[in-house]
Amino acid sequence: MDIVIGLIRNVLEEGFIYGIMAVGVYITYRVLNLPDLSVDGTFPLGACVTAALIRAGVNPWCALLIAFVCGAAAGCVTGLLHVKLRITDLLSGILVMISMWSVNLAITGGSAVVQFYGRETIFTNGLAALLRGGARTWRVLIFSALVCIVVKLVLDLYLKTKSGLLLRSAGGNPQYVISLGHDPGTMKIIGLAIGNGCTALAGSVLAQQAESANIQSGTGMVVMALAAVIIGTNMFRKVRFIKATTAVIFGSILYKACLVIAMQLGLPTNYLKLLMAVIFTIALVTNDMLGSRRKKQNV
Amino acid sequence: MKKIVSIITAVLLILGLAACSSTPAATPAATPQATPEEAPAEKTFKIGVIQYAPHPSLDNCYTGIRLGLEEAGFVDGVNIKIDFQNAQGETTNADLIAKNMATKQYDLIMAIATPAAMSAYSAAKDLDIPVVFTAVSDPVAAGIVKSLENPGTNCTGSSDVLPLEEQVRMIRAFLPEATKIGILYTTSEPNSVTQLKEIKEIAPKYGFEIVEIGVTGSSEVASGAQSLVAKGVDCINNFTDNNVVNNLSLLLNAANSGGIPVFGSEEEQVKNGCLASQSIDYVALGRETGLMAAKILKGEAKASEMPVYLVKDFAPVYNKDVLESFNLTLPAEYAQATAVESAK
Repeated sequence: MDIVIGLIRNVLEEGFIYGIMAVGVYITYRVLNLPDLSVDGTFPLGACVTAALIRAGVNPWCALLIAFVCGAAAGCVTGLLHVKLRITDLLSGILVMISMWSVNLAITGGSAVVQFYGRETIFTNGLAALLRGGARTWRVLIFSALVCIVVKLVLDLYLKTKSGLLLRSAGGNPQYVISLGHDPGTMKIIGLAIGNGCTALAGSVLAQQAESANIQSGTGMVVMALAAVIIGTNMFRKVRFIKATTAVIFGSILYKACLVIAMQLGLPTNYLKLLMAVIFTIALVTNDMLGSRRKKQNV
Repeated sequence: MKKIVSIITAVLLILGLAACSSTPAATPAATPQATPEEAPAEKTFKIGVIQYAPHPSLDNCYTGIRLGLEEAGFVDGVNIKIDFQNAQGETTNADLIAKNMATKQYDLIMAIATPAAMSAYSAAKDLDIPVVFTAVSDPVAAGIVKSLENPGTNCTGSSDVLPLEEQVRMIRAFLPEATKIGILYTTSEPNSVTQLKEIKEIAPKYGFEIVEIGVTGSSEVASGAQSLVAKGVDCINNFTDNNVVNNLSLLLNAANSGGIPVFGSEEEQVKNGCLASQSIDYVALGRETGLMAAKILKGEAKASEMPVYLVKDFAPVYNKDVLESFNLTLPAEYAQATAVESAK
């Protein structure tokens, strides 16, 4: 029984950490309708920035914020390339993704793996240090869930502000934004900044949990984030009281749960990628088969 | 209203989980102390093995680990249960696998290659589960042991430091007139960067100059190899670079079309068409690691006090077919070198 609880805890930990990224990607992919590939580069960016900062003795919570800002800056670059230089969305994402490789290596000083074992992280300092006994086992879950939920709530609030409303219309109805005297391009840049900021934040939390940053950790992040967004929004779209941002976090948890269950059932890891594709397909297809498609997202 | 409901759901979810926390909390502290005292014959030990990527040398490590464990009396399915997982070259997978193994309270986690070792270390360090690694070139730099003699962490294993000096001496013997050794390496692989630095210090002693080209991914191996050949090197030497070794055929194609031999870093590469190598026997390395793991399982030693095993035995290996195709003769001092044939 302990093992089952432990496995559920692992799923939730991973689900919440990647959920932070999924919430960000939800903004770019669903709200703005932009497939943003730069997350493959901004995820390790967050991790590398965090590793460098923590090694330099910076407070881990500050490291989280700085990682978000760095990710947001990279997102702005994607946005500027797309909006100002009129490069297609896919290509501008790819450009930032590949350039991040070099940026990350520059941050880590050329090494592919940076470890900071034993240093203070958000899971060991401040409030987390107060946790004693059994609660210690749960600290990773508690704090990753905390960060994830805070990010979600802040985004929910933002989407209700005037700027947030403009952001939502920039994806679905750019003409409306123009008619209000605003530039949909600027809204896209803001959206990409938020999306990549969240992704870098997820990278930062993951690095603090593993106490090391790996420059290659970004591989497959786009797919993982899209899977979480699609599974979440499609499966919970009928459930009215669940907001899309919440649904996306559930999607991330469900996705990780599928992987862990498959591994527990003895599926060789060689087939994980295939399983990923199958889950993805099921999520996409169920959406169409459920019939009554609501035009508007339940934002 | 919706917002409030969603917050409540989230809070309930967390509270629900926290409520369960009292149960598993007691267990991780209680179990590990009990294990070493029990006789190995009566208990089935659960061992998790994480291999970082599908790779011939790493596969050999795993074969060796099983041999070593069997030699010490631990047979899979009889008195131990091995859960073998391959992370497919992704750190996200390695982390998840390691976490699950730690959660399942395995008696021992074994890790093949540096990223797997780091994941295992990170997952097991609070839980008192010993980690035994292999094929980690620099465990101190990776942060998983404090020193090679006395790890100080609950983590020990074996290290595969390349015999670069022997390798350069061998290249000199095979190619008495060569002056330039070409190196193709991946800039993001820490082992390769360290090895490059070392070989640059050794090469002048044998009258060689090192010409290196760094690549960042598999797509650049072919063009990197071609530009290396174009720079007029007399031969190419390989490290344990995962990316280059996985794309060895691209490197060999470029080298062959330029008419220059490639020296490998272990036997598998020689079988696949490299001329020769001072090779580490990864099966033997794995076996040694398996024996170390067995000692920990039997309670004879603690991981934190067991020195890291450094590979000592290198054997020269050469490929007869390749030797003939370059019209070279086997140097007298390598007459006893093991001859292998191209794997076809």
